Amino acid sequence: MEGLKIIQENLAILAPLFVLQLILMVIALIDLAKNEVPRGPKWVWALVIIFVNIIGPIVYFIAGKRR
Amino acid sequence: MQWTVILKKELTENWRNFKWLWVPIVFILISIMDLISTYYMPIIIESAGGLPEGTVIDIPMPSPSEAMLMSFSQLNMIGVLILTVMSMGTISGEIKSGVYELILAKPVKYTNYVTGKFFSYWLLMMVSLLLGLLASWYYTNLLFGELALSQMFVAALFYACWLTLVIAIVILYNTWFKSPGLIAFLSIITVIILTVMTNIFGHVLGWSPAKITEYISIYLHTGDLDIEIWFSAIVTLLLSLACILFAIVSLRNRAID
Amino acid sequence: MELVSVNDLTKTYSKHAVVDHVSFDLQPGKCVALLGPNGAGKTTTLRMLAGFIQPTSGSISFNEDTLSKDFRKFVGYLPQYPSFYPWMSGEEFLHYAGQLAGLTKKEASDRSNELLQLVHLTESGKKRIGKYSGGMKQRLGIAQALIHEPKLIMLDEPVSSLDPIGRREVLNLIRELKKDATVLFSTHILNDAEEVSEEILLMNDGKLIEQGPISEIRGMQQTVTIRLAFEKEPKFIHEKLKEIDSVYQVTEENGTFDVSVHDLNAARDTIFSRVQEEGWELSLFEITSGTLEDIFMKAVNK
Repeated sequence: MEGLKIIQENLAILAPLFVLQLILMVIALIDLAKNEVPRGPKWVWALVIIFVNIIGPIVYFIAGKRR
Repeated sequence: MQWTVILKKELTENWRNFKWLWVPIVFILISIMDLISTYYMPIIIESAGGLPEGTVIDIPMPSPSEAMLMSFSQLNMIGVLILTVMSMGTISGEIKSGVYELILAKPVKYTNYVTGKFFSYWLLMMVSLLLGLLASWYYTNLLFGELALSQMFVAALFYACWLTLVIAIVILYNTWFKSPGLIAFLSIITVIILTVMTNIFGHVLGWSPAKITEYISIYLHTGDLDIEIWFSAIVTLLLSLACILFAIVSLRNRAID
Repeated sequence: MELVSVNDLTKTYSKHAVVDHVSFDLQPGKCVALLGPNGAGKTTTLRMLAGFIQPTSGSISFNEDTLSKDFRKFVGYLPQYPSFYPWMSGEEFLHYAGQLAGLTKKEASDRSNELLQLVHLTESGKKRIGKYSGGMKQRLGIAQALIHEPKLIMLDEPVSSLDPIGRREVLNLIRELKKDATVLFSTHILNDAEEVSEEILLMNDGKLIEQGPISEIRGMQQTVTIRLAFEKEPKFIHEKLKEIDSVYQVTEENGTFDVSVHDLNAARDTIFSRVQEEGWELSLFEITSGTLEDIFMKAVNK
């Protein structure tokens, strides 16, 4: 409960961080949806993008497509 | 003009594959993550619990210049890594896929081809770097105290020289090797060797490109620009130019198989 | 006046001559087939003519322009396996190729539309190339080669990877092209060469071993093959056929004999008299006149 209070108090500081992470995740998911040559199963990538903070989308953008 | 045609194609490509979105976002995130987690460190430790009652948590907050340097050191690791992998296939990939053969069958000047690609990645790097450092500057002021915006910009411009060299190295390796993975690997090895050599022989390599980050730290602390930082910057830009010229010559003499 | 003269063209890779002292001229408005088995040096020759491989020695000269060394602006080139940017649409690629070749934006987009129509891609012009089929890519490849109205169009094995329908389309397209430009295309399939070209250049092992108009080359080496098959194969038939005057080669495949002869009339008479004398039970007798295949095989096996 206390953690929630701290977050509420510091929203101005933390909000940009969350928003940027969210945008990054959404872009990666859009790209994944349109990806015709995924390297590996798409659902695995989706899990990686959603649950691995920041690193997940980056790894997807770098390694998610067969060239 | 052929050069603008090539540049425009590169910009379109990196827009459509979202590089123009994700690279700046990642640069901003890596620039501010450390600042925010440092700021909240006392609260995080406290809420983790397990500390005996009455323990006083006293973690000194960094000064504004120290805070910004945290961003620079993150950029120096993850930023360099990302710049390398995002440009590792820009020429080699086209040679590998065969589209290079179609492009080269048109009267395309090697100089235009190489510099157009270089410039498109340079622009992306500059935009990402400036956005990242602006965010870092904002959080520094918010959380740790005041630092002049002009000081941040000067530091950013010198640091951009170093990243310019990183991109130029990747472009050069692009004309030598076919495998993007190998190109990224060798580029990073080159940067590491340059940094390690500079650390070992720092006293005689005062002008080394890898010294720029050290000089930036001095500048952020003291506000003085030493003559050495100018030397380093000029050497770095000349080395970048040499890499690009070498890349053009290599590509021209490259046999296609 | 020839469009291109090639003189003593040689390309060596680590001491091995991939193209070995090749000389020929190309006349304007002709369709020329560069013929030869795989590995004969056709692709390397084309790449040197396209201007992005430097010859080890020898020269290529275009009568259009003797001053500048860069003759890529006169040449349209389609590699054997054309590859594009999958994220571009066909139209965008043509547009890009046109501007690279020096056309203005307006010229490039007019010409793109024209060419999309020519290669029947108008409807797919806005589609991403990543979604194109092999035949569509081949046609887009031809379109991009034509974008800057080159004097010389070079196609590397343009039909060998296509299905019969695609092959037919591309051959018809080549017939169209030669109205406005010189076409040089490489192939290892003789039928394709015979069908659309007036002249052939025959390469093997890096060397140019035969060249000239198809009719001339045919006349030069009159060879005829008689194809025979039997109800019941007579004993020693292979040897007996070989003994016949003017027969110089007998090959057998699944009970069918290909008998190559110099003098058709003499050979035919002999074979028919043997049929009567020895009671051969003939089930097939077919005369195939000197195809390029024979010339090809003879020249290559020399």
